[in-house]
Amino acid sequence: MQQAELTNNDIIHRYLNDLRRYLARLAPHETQEVIREIESHLFDVMEQQEAAGNKADAAAILHGFGEPRQLAAQYIAHIEEGAPPPKGFKAIQTMKKSVTATLYFAMAVFGFSAALCLLFVAGAKFLLPESVGVWSTPHGNSIVVGFVSVPPTAMPEVMGWWIVPVAAVLALAVALLTRKVLSVLKQHM
Amino acid sequence: MNPNDALMEKWEVQLRKGTLELAILAALQQRTLYGLELLKLLQSLPSTTITEGTLYPLLDRLKRDELVDAQWVQEGDSRPRKYYQLTATGAQKLTELTRLWRQSVTDIEFLLANPGPQALPMTGV
Repeated sequence: MQQAELTNNDIIHRYLNDLRRYLARLAPHETQEVIREIESHLFDVMEQQEAAGNKADAAAILHGFGEPRQLAAQYIAHIEEGAPPPKGFKAIQTMKKSVTATLYFAMAVFGFSAALCLLFVAGAKFLLPESVGVWSTPHGNSIVVGFVSVPPTAMPEVMGWWIVPVAAVLALAVALLTRKVLSVLKQHM
Repeated sequence: MNPNDALMEKWEVQLRKGTLELAILAALQQRTLYGLELLKLLQSLPSTTITEGTLYPLLDRLKRDELVDAQWVQEGDSRPRKYYQLTATGAQKLTELTRLWRQSVTDIEFLLANPGPQALPMTGV
């Protein structure tokens, strides 16, 4: 077995290097402090083993420390948890969360219904070509867009069949934009 | 292992976990110890046995919570060792935990000493 051929120093060196890597989130002097303490412990115990007439066994001692990753996880647990939140913080957090949820829902309804309306206008043009379009007054100071029951005869229709592709493309664009906004909102929920 | 043994072991683990902080603070009462000494002391008692991997990160947390202090000491030719002792806050916490622990022992002893079927005198209510 390859493990048996490693010297105690190799084993310790490898373990502490792994540990150092997993402790990367600590400040360098804190990492150094942890490593130094464990190192001191290991050499102390090995010395005692030898003094008692036994063979120093670094691997057996390290077994008590557990896997470097798991040991490191305990040392950095306080960073992951962060500072304790101030009183009342939880209520604010809950409120923020529900506002975000409401916003998310409202955005979804608004965005997708706008896209659906545009799609509906594009499709309706085929069924009721006379009632769907964009009308503008001759001097351009007011326009009527969309689906009307009585076409405003006083105003000229400006788009004709172009309304179909334009509305379809707009519908697609609005739908995509809504999806994008929703995904951003979701990250903050 | 029968399921009852597994349950017993689980209970023991829970109990040890819950009392570990008290055990460490009590071990450091008016005493300065380094990690290995503390480990050996705790391992010499049947109900406080813990591993290196539990002790050292726990000491780190107690230090961050300012319940213990630590400093490196080098005596003569020996390797530098990190010695721990209680802070004033730590000593206060120990007093508080001791009170809770003793209350818990008293209460459970009381229940154990008074089996049914007679009703118990409920003095505390």
